[in-house]
Amino acid sequence: MSATQQIEPNIDHYLAEYARVERDLPGSDDSKRERSAELTRFSEAGFPSPREEDWKYTSLQPVEKRRFEISDEAEPVALDELRAFLPTDLDAHRIIVIDGHFNAALSSLDELPAGVTVRSFADYLSDNAGATVKAREIDEEPGSLTAMNAAFCTDGAYVETAANTVLDKPLHVISVASGVRDERMTQVRHRYVLGENSQATIIEHSVGLGSKAYFANQVTEAVVGRNAQLTRIRIQQESERGYHVSSFFAQQRRDSRVFNHGFDLGGRLARIDTNARLVDHNAEVHFNGVYAPTGRQHMDNHTKIDHATEHSVSREQYKGVLAGHARGVFNGKILIQKDAQKTDSDLSSDALLLSDNAEVDAKPELEIYADDVTAGHGSTVGQLDEDAVFYLKSRGVGEEGARAILTYSFANALVQKVGIEPIERYVEAAILAKLPGGRAYVDLA
Amino acid sequence: MISIKNLHAEVEGKPILRGIDLEIPDGEVHAIMGPNGSGKSTLASILAGREEYEVTEGSVTYKGKELLELDPDERACEGVFLGFQYPVEIPGVSNLYLLRAAVNARRKYHGEPEVDAVEFMQMVQEKIAHVGMSMDMVKRGVNEDFSGGEKKRNEIFQMLMLEPSLSVLDETDSGLDIDALKVVASGINRLRSPERSTILVTHYKRLLEHVVPDRVHVLYQGRIVRSGGPELADTLEEEGYANLETDEAAATS
Repeated sequence: MSATQQIEPNIDHYLAEYARVERDLPGSDDSKRERSAELTRFSEAGFPSPREEDWKYTSLQPVEKRRFEISDEAEPVALDELRAFLPTDLDAHRIIVIDGHFNAALSSLDELPAGVTVRSFADYLSDNAGATVKAREIDEEPGSLTAMNAAFCTDGAYVETAANTVLDKPLHVISVASGVRDERMTQVRHRYVLGENSQATIIEHSVGLGSKAYFANQVTEAVVGRNAQLTRIRIQQESERGYHVSSFFAQQRRDSRVFNHGFDLGGRLARIDTNARLVDHNAEVHFNGVYAPTGRQHMDNHTKIDHATEHSVSREQYKGVLAGHARGVFNGKILIQKDAQKTDSDLSSDALLLSDNAEVDAKPELEIYADDVTAGHGSTVGQLDEDAVFYLKSRGVGEEGARAILTYSFANALVQKVGIEPIERYVEAAILAKLPGGRAYVDLA
Repeated sequence: MISIKNLHAEVEGKPILRGIDLEIPDGEVHAIMGPNGSGKSTLASILAGREEYEVTEGSVTYKGKELLELDPDERACEGVFLGFQYPVEIPGVSNLYLLRAAVNARRKYHGEPEVDAVEFMQMVQEKIAHVGMSMDMVKRGVNEDFSGGEKKRNEIFQMLMLEPSLSVLDETDSGLDIDALKVVASGINRLRSPERSTILVTHYKRLLEHVVPDRVHVLYQGRIVRSGGPELADTLEEEGYANLETDEAAATS
């Protein structure tokens, strides 16, 4: 018997857990059948194993060996406990989901523009007999964890913009793990459906409060209509004992734009899959990501951009800042299908290692089947420029501060692409606060 | 201000400074000249605290303190400023950010409160006017895409903002057109006062026409082989460094 087989996958636990909670899960009987099929998919595939190419560097053993449970209800959390996660001066609509359950009292969804729907995903499922857990328009990448989420998902945000409407303010969606009880899981699912010529900006913020181990498994599906524009800002600040897995799938119609910004700062382990499929002409997608693991954090970003037809554009930039014994993984796949002539694509990955014990595996992966395309890619791994460190020290800044400032400046170029100042300031401060000696420079940012 | 005694230093086992003695009283400007490889930049770097150089002998006393025992940032907070021969570009950190961090580091070191934002910006407005820089430039990344002349102006701008007691300017005049040279010179003259001193490391006499030094020292093969008044720069201009070998022999004997 090999070492990996000795670990009891605890799949039975999740089958029993599903049976326990099924009655309370939102949605019609049809959607229950859908969930049940997804559960079967999950139980047959089990948790991803490092033997799979896509999971080569990330072991889910710490997740697999525990028996996480759905919270039947949210622990009480006051808005004050969440203050630290509300960016100063951010004017936004707000959805707060605690332990997987929408909290109407803490959310704020007043005065939405006509034609714009923002509501709890559970309500959407319950109120619409024909609603499915998975968006019909999207062919998700097969994955056992997304199947697990489809089976168990309790709530999330549902956003729909009618043709020619604009979500007037960003929507700040905060998914909170209270961390009060041990071994809980949140299975949160968001769906965004953007009609023709419509526009929305959504901030997906995952945070953890308590000290207990938890598993946050999240899926976001976005259907982006013709000439529509989605900006999605994902900020991951799970607590030290949070295990975070999330997947994003965007399906882009003609002339649509998706701007996805990811900031991974928290969690013991985080695995993020970010996918866009450009199914029609002249669609454009931007993926920007900063990951900053310190201590013993492990962060793995996998992205896939699928250019299916002509004249589409993709721009992708990831920057990693790794300290302590941290581990980072970046795998950026660009697929240019044979009909995707005139595709214009560029991918870069840069990582900064702040310690000898930190490690990163970064791999751009281009698969090109069309012959008339522009596709650039680059990958660097380096250390701080010691001349720059000395320059700052010669001006009076201490060693730690100098390193923090230079590290922050490395990541800052991508933070500045968000284009919403309160978010930029919030993320800058959060990055600086993670770096030794950086806290002193937060106010200068 | 600063007293350098029998300073020996090497880099990777190779001796560069071979016994420097130099006294710079408060309020004086001293020029250090000499051919390439004589150790001028090494001396400047050691005073600022660069770690590549190993001091093997001698001492440096600055305002009564053992300078060599202080970290580079502590030296800066004590009022030592190095004007870099090759200022570093730091994209992503604005000049303003760097200066606020620098000013606040100094204030913290001396137990003073942080600089007020309005007061700081007033100071910036005033000082950039002296060096002919624009607000747009100082908002950009440190030296990012600056020309050689702009980088040196920026060094002088930083010096004016930080008001050091001892400025060590390492070839700040190299690679400058006449306008930029005048800006650098007027910046240095502006800070000249009985309580501040300056070390000008330079190749060229040109700067010394705009900043008249109290003393000129000639560094050759790691030693000061000749010292004199401002007129020594003229002599060097006429005679070059050719006669230095005999001076070196004389200094050794």
